[in-house]
Amino acid sequence: MPSATLLGQALISGVLAGGMYGLLALGLSLSWGLLRLVNLSHFALAFLAAYLTYEMGTTYHIDPWWSVLVIVPAMFVIGLLQHWVFDRFKVNELASLLITFSFAVILEVAIQLYWTADYRRFETHYSTLSIKVGAFYIPVLELILCLVAGVLAWGTWLWLRKTYVGKALRASAEDAEIAAAYGVDHKKLAYLLSGLGAAYAGVAGTFIALIATLAPAQIWAWLGVVFAVVIIGRLGNPLGALFAGMLIGASESIAMAVLSPAWAPVVSFSVLIVLLLWDPDWS
Amino acid sequence: MSKGMGAWRRRTFLGGALAGMVAAPAVLRAAPPGKPVRVGGTLSLTGFLAQTAAIHKIAAEIMVEEINGRDGFLGRPIEYVLLDDQSKPDVARSLYEKLITVDKVDLIQGPYATAPILAAMGVAQRYGKIIIQSSMGIPKLQTYDMAFPATPFGPEPDKSYPNVILDAMATLSPAPKSMVVLTSKFPSAQFMAQGMRTEAEKRGVKVPLFLEYEAGNRDFGAIAARVKEANADFLWVGSLGLESNQILEALRKLDYRPKNSFHLYPAPGPLALSPDGNLVWSSTFLEPDEPFMSRPGMKRIAEHYKERATKANLPYPIIDAQAAGMAAQWQILEQGVNGAKSLEDKQIAAWLKKNVVTTVYGPTKFDGPYNHGAPAQLIRQVQNKEWKVVWPKDLAAPGVKLING
Amino acid sequence: MADLLTVQSLSAGYGRAVVLSDVTFALGEGQALAVLGRNGVGKTTLIDSLIGVTRRFAGSVRFSGKEIATLSPEARAQRGIGWVPQERNVFRSLSVEENLTAVARPGPWTADRVFGLFPRLAERRHHAGSALSGGEQQMLAIGRALATNPKLLLLDEPTEGLAPIIVQEVLAAIARLLREEGLAAIVVEQHARKILPITDRAVILERGRIVHESASAALLADATPLERLLGVTER
Ligand SMILES: Nc1ncnc2c1ncn2[C@@H]1O[C@H](COP(=O)(O)OP(=O)(O)OP(=O)(O)O)[C@@H](O)[C@H]1O
Ligand SMILES: [Mg+2]
Repeated sequence: MPSATLLGQALISGVLAGGMYGLLALGLSLSWGLLRLVNLSHFALAFLAAYLTYEMGTTYHIDPWWSVLVIVPAMFVIGLLQHWVFDRFKVNELASLLITFSFAVILEVAIQLYWTADYRRFETHYSTLSIKVGAFYIPVLELILCLVAGVLAWGTWLWLRKTYVGKALRASAEDAEIAAAYGVDHKKLAYLLSGLGAAYAGVAGTFIALIATLAPAQIWAWLGVVFAVVIIGRLGNPLGALFAGMLIGASESIAMAVLSPAWAPVVSFSVLIVLLLWDPDWS
Repeated sequence: MSKGMGAWRRRTFLGGALAGMVAAPAVLRAAPPGKPVRVGGTLSLTGFLAQTAAIHKIAAEIMVEEINGRDGFLGRPIEYVLLDDQSKPDVARSLYEKLITVDKVDLIQGPYATAPILAAMGVAQRYGKIIIQSSMGIPKLQTYDMAFPATPFGPEPDKSYPNVILDAMATLSPAPKSMVVLTSKFPSAQFMAQGMRTEAEKRGVKVPLFLEYEAGNRDFGAIAARVKEANADFLWVGSLGLESNQILEALRKLDYRPKNSFHLYPAPGPLALSPDGNLVWSSTFLEPDEPFMSRPGMKRIAEHYKERATKANLPYPIIDAQAAGMAAQWQILEQGVNGAKSLEDKQIAAWLKKNVVTTVYGPTKFDGPYNHGAPAQLIRQVQNKEWKVVWPKDLAAPGVKLING
Repeated sequence: MADLLTVQSLSAGYGRAVVLSDVTFALGEGQALAVLGRNGVGKTTLIDSLIGVTRRFAGSVRFSGKEIATLSPEARAQRGIGWVPQERNVFRSLSVEENLTAVARPGPWTADRVFGLFPRLAERRHHAGSALSGGEQQMLAIGRALATNPKLLLLDEPTEGLAPIIVQEVLAAIARLLREEGLAAIVVEQHARKILPITDRAVILERGRIVHESASAALLADATPLERLLGVTER
């Protein structure tokens, strides 16, 4: 039986790792839930942002907390451009999968052309800092990531609940025709939301650059688990996405600590299936 | 000679370019005239193996130029027909099928990594083609009698290599009495990990923790916590690519550094340059040092490699066992064709089985089980951000010793 | 006085099917029009054509002096057309209050005023749209249209399928809107007797055409056209 220290530590690192799932799930969940667009290129955009963070950090020695101020708005604009394509070709849910898949592949190739297929690591002195709390170690960067993810998820949740734009988006997601007949300009809102989703990918990308080593094929590494997270967290629900991310991260981590690390990939989908069958009403 | 190892950043590399010009005469000599001999093959230019394929591609291109700079194959120039298998075995299978039946290449060269190799080997066997490969870590899977290994794993590396490691461990003081074996479930890593556990226990080194993780594992926090808790004297990791960096980083986040650790197939650049990489061990077959640099052709190939890899913007432009394996593949094919004086697959294969071939890995034979010769897998260690062969002692770089971490 | 709405020779339908033919009528500021007719004669199609979700074949629709026949539904709504659909179509995933605020536009009608009009809704303000009874959904649909602060309210069979007591409540609210607030409205109703007292004019549709137009009071006084065209007998 694993010790309490091991379990506690596994729980901490799992929840924190889940923060990244949640952060990546956030933008995906919004566009899927509220625009009915499944954006597979979300991960590629996050990696583009990560590579840009790396490039600005290593070539121009710009610290990530400065480069993020450029990258996130740039990502927002990319999100708008991407939405222009969706809008122009009247893309539906299924077609969006295909189009964004191609978009992701193109981005992967472009990244590989510019940065090569080789691994890129943005070494910073704080990338592996931890604070010690009792017997446990809390990695600082992951903690910051979780706080940022928390603020974004909470802020987005409030935005969707409390603002006119947020409520109009939700109304539109439920019934776009009826909402339009009440004067909701779904098109404008959809552009805004697509930009926002891409901007969130930009935020995730900055953290990916700091936490992970980059390689173009890594674009696909998070796909499965983040999709599970999006579905478990309920489409279009930002807080759900974050909590589901942490739930999956923690479950994976506990499974690795108690059973075998090889169980980790099974966990997210097992949790997904259990929740789909059980169908708790917590939305 | 290899001060360029710090090149984890992009930069121009004048030295390499100069070295390339010195070596130019051999390259620039006109290729022999005549209809080219076409040699087909795939590499994983895209997909999750793309990082290593970039290395192989450069090594192959250098070798093709070298061979054309000499006499080509039997006086005819050679041409490498290279396709992208996207890191997928099924794509590799159909591309080899296409190379042989549609493009009608004269000869083939093996792809990279066990799964694509197995796929290509099946096709080669069906059409009676000789196939040479350099990266199949499980020799017993190479059941085709015209398949040849370019890398000297030996027929049973899961038995021979753990003992090389245990020999090296025994020279440390105090000698490690326990080891954690942590491995990817990637078949060739898992195969070696199981051998490591068995051989360690045979020699009285306890294995209190044996952990397997899935290839593509994302979070190593919980694994690191288990490794830390087991707190063995030695950590053996059956890692591929970046996993070693991820594991060591995760351990550092828990403020734990294993005294000594071994890493099976890590990405060499990132591990050597990582702050966590200092003094870690890894497997190799050669490094760009003596005595290896004195092997025929090695110096020139290493210089070319450095020049091209720098130009291709690879962050770690130093030849290592990966690139050397591809070089050896071509050296074997060249010597086989010349020795047999034929482009016929059967005759080349027959000649190779009876003779000794000299590659960057030294004299190589194919007379044992699974066409393997004697094992020659070594241990290297990161010292001052460079990989140095440290074991066996007679192959260690001049003045370099295994350092206890 | 300039008319608020002028519909001129309008022909409209769905796909290739022409449902409305050559419909012409006008509505002044603060006026209420009853649209009567049997099932399937095109009443909803008329409302839909004003909203902008049908296909127009010919004719014009002028609202506040501007042609709107070519505008999108959202542009029409933004110009001041409020709609209470026959199917109610409340946003089921939004709370009662959110249903009102999601589409709100500035003006005298706030969510609180809607709650004043329908106290039942105030009690259920935090419930999801999907949790409402049919009557409450109808009230919410009316409230939601009011929250857009329209110049013209379109009500498509607002009492259809409701319990008699709720019908009374809804009709009372509509009466208040039309008579006390002076809101311009078009009300589609099967129960002519209920709606004529609170409207100014009435039209009767048959197979997509206006076959009768008069003051509502005239129809109340002489029910012959009702009996003839709707088969309504005095009750
Ligand atoms: N979306 C549609 N597509 C095609 N035809 C339609 C559509 N909606 C209605 N129709 C047809 O148009 C005609 C008029 O329908 P409409 O709904 O306008 O009648 P209505 O007077 O509102 O009837 P009810 O009293 O049943 O509500 C009917 O024949 C109907 O079948
Ligand atoms: Mg109708």
